[in-house]
Amino acid sequence: MKQTISWQSVKTLFRLDLRSRKDVTTELTKKDKAMKALNLVFGLVVYALLIVGIYFLTRMFVVRAGMRIEFLTIVNLITIGISTIVAIGNVVKNLYMNGDNELLFRFPVNGTEILIAKSIYCALHNLAVTVLITLPFHVVYGAITGAGAGFYFASIAMILFSTMLPFFIANLVAIPVMRVVNAIKNQFLLVLVIIIAAICGCFVLYMTALSSILEYLADNNVNLFDDPTIRENVMKFAHNCYPFNWYAYLLAGKIHAGLGAKEMGLSFLYLFLINGVLGVSAFFVTTKCYYGTILKGIETEKQSMVKLVKRNVKRSVFGALLHREFFLIFRSFNYSFQYLAMACAAPVMVYYCNALASAMGTKSVGTSIVPGLTLLVVVIFVTIIVSFASTSISREGNVFYHTKIIPVSFTNQILTKLFLYGIVGSVSVALCCITVAAAFGTEAGGNLLTPLDVGMIFIICELTVLAQTCLSVWADIKSPTFNVGGDGELVAANKNVALALFTGIFTAVVYGVFAMVFSFNGLAIGKLVIDMQPAEVYGVLIGVSAALLIASASLLFVNLDKRYHKIVP
Amino acid sequence: MLKIEHLKKTYPKSDRLAVNDISFELQPGEIFGFLGQNGAGKSTTIKCLTGILPFDSGTIEICGHDIAKDPIAAKMEMGYVPDNHSVYEKLTGREYVNYVADLYKVSLEDRNARLEHYLDLFRLRFAVDRQIKAYSHGMKQKICIIAALIHEPKLWVLDEPMMGLDPQSIAEIIAYMREHCRKGNTVFFSSHNLDLVKKLCDRVAIVNDGQLIDMFDLKNNEANKANLEERFFKITGTYDKRLFEDYVAQESADMRPDLPTENTDDTAVETEEK
Repeated sequence: MKQTISWQSVKTLFRLDLRSRKDVTTELTKKDKAMKALNLVFGLVVYALLIVGIYFLTRMFVVRAGMRIEFLTIVNLITIGISTIVAIGNVVKNLYMNGDNELLFRFPVNGTEILIAKSIYCALHNLAVTVLITLPFHVVYGAITGAGAGFYFASIAMILFSTMLPFFIANLVAIPVMRVVNAIKNQFLLVLVIIIAAICGCFVLYMTALSSILEYLADNNVNLFDDPTIRENVMKFAHNCYPFNWYAYLLAGKIHAGLGAKEMGLSFLYLFLINGVLGVSAFFVTTKCYYGTILKGIETEKQSMVKLVKRNVKRSVFGALLHREFFLIFRSFNYSFQYLAMACAAPVMVYYCNALASAMGTKSVGTSIVPGLTLLVVVIFVTIIVSFASTSISREGNVFYHTKIIPVSFTNQILTKLFLYGIVGSVSVALCCITVAAAFGTEAGGNLLTPLDVGMIFIICELTVLAQTCLSVWADIKSPTFNVGGDGELVAANKNVALALFTGIFTAVVYGVFAMVFSFNGLAIGKLVIDMQPAEVYGVLIGVSAALLIASASLLFVNLDKRYHKIVP
Repeated sequence: MLKIEHLKKTYPKSDRLAVNDISFELQPGEIFGFLGQNGAGKSTTIKCLTGILPFDSGTIEICGHDIAKDPIAAKMEMGYVPDNHSVYEKLTGREYVNYVADLYKVSLEDRNARLEHYLDLFRLRFAVDRQIKAYSHGMKQKICIIAALIHEPKLWVLDEPMMGLDPQSIAEIIAYMREHCRKGNTVFFSSHNLDLVKKLCDRVAIVNDGQLIDMFDLKNNEANKANLEERFFKITGTYDKRLFEDYVAQESADMRPDLPTENTDDTAVETEEK
């Protein structure tokens, strides 16, 4: 039966979708408004920093290397690539995985109307992402090359044109992507491995790019493209980088590459044909599969893991609590990502951050700075991992009552949590220290760290892990937020996470600066010069860390049972 | 088995006494019904006696153990089924029951035997090795009940246990409540279902506005059984002659010939128990 489309229904569904994304039921307090404004300012600062980075990158390609069209081709590759990844995630999430599908099917609307309404949102989202990513490149490029007004009009047209490709690809690949996600969603170890690999991969790429830019900034005389082989390879790559080079030709082929009308026309034709074929394919595939796919999604939404080991196992009380705590984290995508994956990926991140910081620091200050920098970097990553403990009570969610009715003291329950977080944090710290020792403490690594440095950094970080964990759990006992979703997971991180991150980063900076300052000539206050040997510096930091641990443990454990009993969900 | 004396509870940021001087005592082997309107203080009382909520004054003793002074020993004697069936959804049914059994230090032999028995009794064997997140409302309720019973508690507390359950499951739970009491244990449950309370309970208490207003026997007392509804409606201040007559008429076997009579129902339950 042929379905007719009511555009009134599409409009209503689209407006409903927009309203559901905006929390209109909660009235914002002054504090909330201030936080929102702060977040906006923070976002703007990050975006401004990104634009500064783009400026230097553009200068490197355009001014020094004179590779204009090549630069635009690579920019198109990156921006369209990012837009495509974001669009796939967005389409999968909004069209197929959104919990409102079941609800919408109860309304007198058909599947195509729901699809169109949701697709409009996805397309607008895609456009916004593309504009945010691409516009700075085009504006900076135009400013550096002194392009005329025509370039900027062409840029707007090109941005609109280039949003289509990611959107069509996303619609085509969303269904297979969703099926893969459904197939592996209960393969928890596999998911964890994939997450760790993805985190490490992205981080390595990011740090490599960052170190190249910083290297360029640090020494303007060094030009990445001085080497003719590199230059030739980049140009060859850009000329064969279809279809992204066609976008570049359309944007600036005439003014910066001297292309004629024929080449420009052919570029447009090719892109038009590619977009046309992908668009028509996406339309037919999506309209044909959408209804069936989301119906299947609704039917298999509750598909869950089936345990193959079907026997009862007896554990000690401690073992049972530990087993439960671990598996509740391990079997959650969000928690695995926030905690286990970060803990496993930390050594890789520490290595790259430390390599970059040490290289920069050594160049500008000297090798003595490396132990202090290493301490700073390791404590920062430890803080990120340990901040997860600041949701340890909140994560109980609707099952919080269970912690109150079981015949186990609250202190013992908290000790079990501390044990798990302590073990994961400690293992991560140990791996980080082994990594930095192998990378910077050997002959090949330049002997930048001595065994004393590594050993002391390990002890300080271990003490910090425990102190931070105690503090995080204390904060969550003080003000838990049991704001959980349908699957029992926290909807959003609470303010305790921010507190844990702030205190941890503050500690890292204080420790790092202290170690760096005293690694040179000591601290001079007027005529008083405080000079310390490395062992003394570490002694002070270990003493402070131990004191912090005692203080945070006291804060957590004194009257713990009484305070825990007072928590009312 | 359970002794509550002068229990008072006020919620933070509230002037109203949610529980106002409630006292009663439960004997071994009895099924005790706890009645009241929404917000009367039933769930608050249950949450206080299970250790979920702190209370302002009074004492609660479970098998002689004061819940405030000796909470671990008191909780060891008790099994609790909440009204919202919240469980750890990421665990499988078996993992959840084993987790609870570990906390109550149930031996492997005992838990094997009991779990097998309950899985058959509540017809949950097919789902016990699946994650609880895939369970239906009724299945979650059943796994909560199994977990609450895995250590054979002397006091079994249930907060509105029949809500959302199918008739078969209700019959199974009723049958098991009776079996549990025959072993000398006690069942304490809150409910809105007066008909169920009338059929099942040995004694009943009615609370209103945080206060215990009435407590009386139902076992072998046909007069009390007969006027339970009227007493409830009058105590809770919701008595309206026309509504009351409609309610009684709906419950009456004359008006609902499709419903089994009391005797037939009891016989069915007894047959099930056998």
